Amino acid sequence: MPKKAMWLIIIFTLLFVLGVNAGELDFLMNLGNTICLSCIGVG
Amino acid sequence: MATFRWLIQTFVTLGTNSYLLFPFGSVIYQGPLKAVCHPGLNCYSCPAALLSCPVGAIQNFLATLRFTSPGTWPRPGVIVLGYLGFIGTLVGRLPCGWLCPFGFIQDLLFKIPSRKFNLWPPLRWVKYGVLVVFVVLLPLLLIDNYGLGHPWFCKLICPSGTLLGALPLVMIKPSLWQTLGFYFWNKITILVALIILAIFISRFFCRVLCPLGAFYGLFSRVSLAHLEFIEGNCVECQACVRVCPTGVKPPIDPYSTECILCLKCLDACHFRALDFSLRRFPHPGRAPQPPPAS
Repeated sequence: MPKKAMWLIIIFTLLFVLGVNAGELDFLMNLGNTICLSCIGVG
Repeated sequence: MATFRWLIQTFVTLGTNSYLLFPFGSVIYQGPLKAVCHPGLNCYSCPAALLSCPVGAIQNFLATLRFTSPGTWPRPGVIVLGYLGFIGTLVGRLPCGWLCPFGFIQDLLFKIPSRKFNLWPPLRWVKYGVLVVFVVLLPLLLIDNYGLGHPWFCKLICPSGTLLGALPLVMIKPSLWQTLGFYFWNKITILVALIILAIFISRFFCRVLCPLGAFYGLFSRVSLAHLEFIEGNCVECQACVRVCPTGVKPPIDPYSTECILCLKCLDACHFRALDFSLRRFPHPGRAPQPPPAS
C-alpha cells in the first residue's frame, strides 16, 4: 500500500471516529428521519 | 463485466430504495439505517430511501455549525468527510460507476437511441465550483432572517432530490402542493434539462455538476484501486477511448479524475493493455541493488 494512501486512510478513519464521538451520528439519524424541504423545493 | 455492473447497479439502486411501506406509514423511512450515508447521490427524502445522502448531510452539518451550544463539541460533519474520504482513498470514483442510483439512471437514459455528442472538456471543472460554492461556502456563510443556513445544492440544483424525493412526495402528499413555488419549478426545469442532456451526452450530470463525483475525483491519483495501463501491450487502436462514458483517454491518463472505474475499457481492449489493480508499496526485490563495496 503506498504511503500516501495509508496516511489518508488513517486520517479519514480518525475523522470518522471523531465524528462518532462528537455525536454526529445522532444528528445524521435525525436529519434522515425528517423530510428535507430543500430537497423538495419548498421555501 | 458490463452485465455484472448492470446487476450491481440495479441491486444497489433498488436495495437502497426498498422501503415499500411509505404510502401507509410515516411517509419516509425513519429506521436506524438512516445513520448510514449512501456512497452515491441518493436523496434521503425519497420515501423509499433506506440510507442518508452524504451531500445533503454535509450541507446540513455546515448550515447548523453556527448553532453549536457552549460546552459541546462543534459538529462540522467530519463523520461524513471521514466516510467519503475513506471510500475515495480505497476505490476513487468507483461508487460513481457502480453504486450511484442517479448515475445508473443516466446510464439508462443514454441507452435511448439518438445522435450522441461529446462534452466540451472545460465543463468538467464546473463540478469543483459546485462542490466549493454550493456544498461548502453557501451553507456555511449564507444565512436567512432567522440566522439559519440552508443546503443550497439540494435547494437549487440536486436532480436526484427532485426525481427521487420531491416528485414522489408531492404525489403522495397533496398537502405539499400549496407550498410549491420558485424553488420547486426551478428544480423541475433543471431535472428536465439534465434528463434531456443525459440522452445525448453520456453522464452529463456526473461530469459537469456532481459535487460527490468531484470529491471522489480528488482521490483518483492516490486511490488503492486504479486502472493500470500496460504500454507494451497497447496497439493504439483507441477502442478504450471510444467506449469510455466520461471521455477519459486511458493510454494518456489512466488515473484521470474523470474515470469512474466502470471498466468498460477493459472489456473493449483485446490486447490486455489495461488492467484493474491495487497499488502496493514498491517490492523490495525490485529496487536497484547498491554495488558491492570494494
